[in-house]
Amino acid sequence: MEWHQTPGNHALCMRYHSTPAITTSLSSPIKVPPSSCGQEAVGMELETRPETLSIFRTQENDPACQSEQHLGQYYTVPPSHFHTVFPHGLPPRYQQQVKTFNEGCVMVRQPALELISHLKRADYSKPTMRYLLYGVKGSGKTMSLCHTVHYCSTQGWLVLHIPDAHLWVKNCKELLPSSYHASRFDQPIQASNWLRNFRTTNEHFLSKIKLRQRYVWTKRESTEEGRPLGELVDMGVSRVKSSSDVVGAVLKELRLQAGGTEGGFRLAVAVDGVNGLWGRTTLKKEDKSPVAPEELTLVHNLRKMINNDWCGGAVIATLSQTGSLYAPSSAYLPQELLGEEGFDSMDPFVPVPVSLYSEKEFESCYLYYLDRHWLQHPHSRTEEGKKELIFLSNRNPSVLERLCAFL
Amino acid sequence: MSASITGLLKPWTPRLFLVRWSRYNPYYLEPEPRKEVYHIPETELTPEQKEERELKSVRPIKAATNSVTSSVFNDPVLSKFVNMMMKDGDKIIAKGIITQTLENMKRKQVEKYHKAPEGKKAEIECNPYAIFHQALENCKPVIGLASIQKGGKFYQVPIPLTDNRRRFLAMKWMITECRDNKHRLTLMYEKLSQELLAAFSKEGNVVKRKHELHKMAESNRAYAHYRWW
Repeated sequence: MEWHQTPGNHALCMRYHSTPAITTSLSSPIKVPPSSCGQEAVGMELETRPETLSIFRTQENDPACQSEQHLGQYYTVPPSHFHTVFPHGLPPRYQQQVKTFNEGCVMVRQPALELISHLKRADYSKPTMRYLLYGVKGSGKTMSLCHTVHYCSTQGWLVLHIPDAHLWVKNCKELLPSSYHASRFDQPIQASNWLRNFRTTNEHFLSKIKLRQRYVWTKRESTEEGRPLGELVDMGVSRVKSSSDVVGAVLKELRLQAGGTEGGFRLAVAVDGVNGLWGRTTLKKEDKSPVAPEELTLVHNLRKMINNDWCGGAVIATLSQTGSLYAPSSAYLPQELLGEEGFDSMDPFVPVPVSLYSEKEFESCYLYYLDRHWLQHPHSRTEEGKKELIFLSNRNPSVLERLCAFL
Repeated sequence: MSASITGLLKPWTPRLFLVRWSRYNPYYLEPEPRKEVYHIPETELTPEQKEERELKSVRPIKAATNSVTSSVFNDPVLSKFVNMMMKDGDKIIAKGIITQTLENMKRKQVEKYHKAPEGKKAEIECNPYAIFHQALENCKPVIGLASIQKGGKFYQVPIPLTDNRRRFLAMKWMITECRDNKHRLTLMYEKLSQELLAAFSKEGNVVKRKHELHKMAESNRAYAHYRWW
């Protein structure tokens, strides 16, 4: 097993082999000489942690500066950023973990680094690139997506994060017929929730972007050309009935203005569970006939967003079997989950496979849980207990998390 | 007459269903699930252990039940608790509730730990297994009461309890308390974790019930000589 090869770290390998003795005393974390990541000196970085660096943590909290040498290490999302960047979108168990540990740490993994390097080198005058994260259940697709969203956020992009497209095709209590288009259906609650979270994420963009078209909502209400986007979003949040159409208008405006030369911003569309847009829904019309996804305004507009006929941004999507409808539980490949229609719409895309934890990543996760006092069972801290954890979880991140929860 | 004919036309089912009985021939020996026993090298075996091994190589062994594992995380007290919580043989649900309880207790304690100032951190117990065992210890009654008939009347006589009986009473009280005396809409794991944490710090209804039993036994000590064993 190799950690990075810089000269100071031959000591690292030796210290790692003596881990069993060290892990029994949690009060002294493994002290290593500072690695050469980032340009900061060690002294000024440590605001709250008096002890020096540990193997599984890195002080490089900016996703743009992270590279292969940080693979397997945890970086902390600064608490000030946390609620603005991730009002929605994080997996629920991870949110509980953040609340318990009082900090939000994300592991730097290969798929996320690959995505970030693609985003750094892409040409934004060409049509948008679509990136698709796929992998078995629980392998870390949503977390990689959130890592990439954090990167986009720190780089000043406008982030359109749809936490789970499946939420829009099932369990909808109110389905209103759309006023704009006769055969479509609106979902006011989901649309207004999403708009509220969108407003939290992108506060600073809302006053800068001006509308290029006049939108008429009812006989007496309309939004004029040249008004800031913030006004449109506020209207959508307050007037719940027309919120789905507001979502459509917002998406259209962003699509038109993303690649613009004057005041141009980059747009990141992050969709989790993108296979929900092309499957079947569980919603029914009043005459009990099933609703197809195209007949939902939100889904229709989102599909237009995922098309690559605009430029100046990127579409990052994740497949998800967990929330999906009518998909077998062993399916994880793009062909199986997207179906024919979905695959044709997403084609061409860059597939990014997300695998289970490697040995190094597993070690890192294990040490992190030990550090946070999460692994409490006395036997879980022994070699035998660790072997048993590897055997039971097969290095699957979510299974390991659930196992360690009660140990 | 019709009654007797319908009795004969019933399909035959055996009178005794062997659900929980392990009716093995006494010739069969118990299985040994612990891994350490098999890792002792040949040279370090005591004569009794050598004899036992030879016996096991000739005698047949019973099948191990589903609840024994060679896992290092196996806990017999916890398994007993799971069996007592189980209804209609649904061990998956009972085990799920217990794991959620342990997780919930650990989460509460770890959250408290991370938010506590440096001086108080050492006092907070985060290990859910330690909390569970200590809470159960705090709920175990030391002395019990038996209903003994003397001269036509029944007296509540204080008697010593065996270890198994004490453990059983503690677990039974814990489970009934959580099932009956809590708010209807709280989930079982939440109720259990609250009650266990309270029992760990010697508060809560179960510990109160134990104290009441002790007081009754103390007040009835005059009848102690009615016990003949």
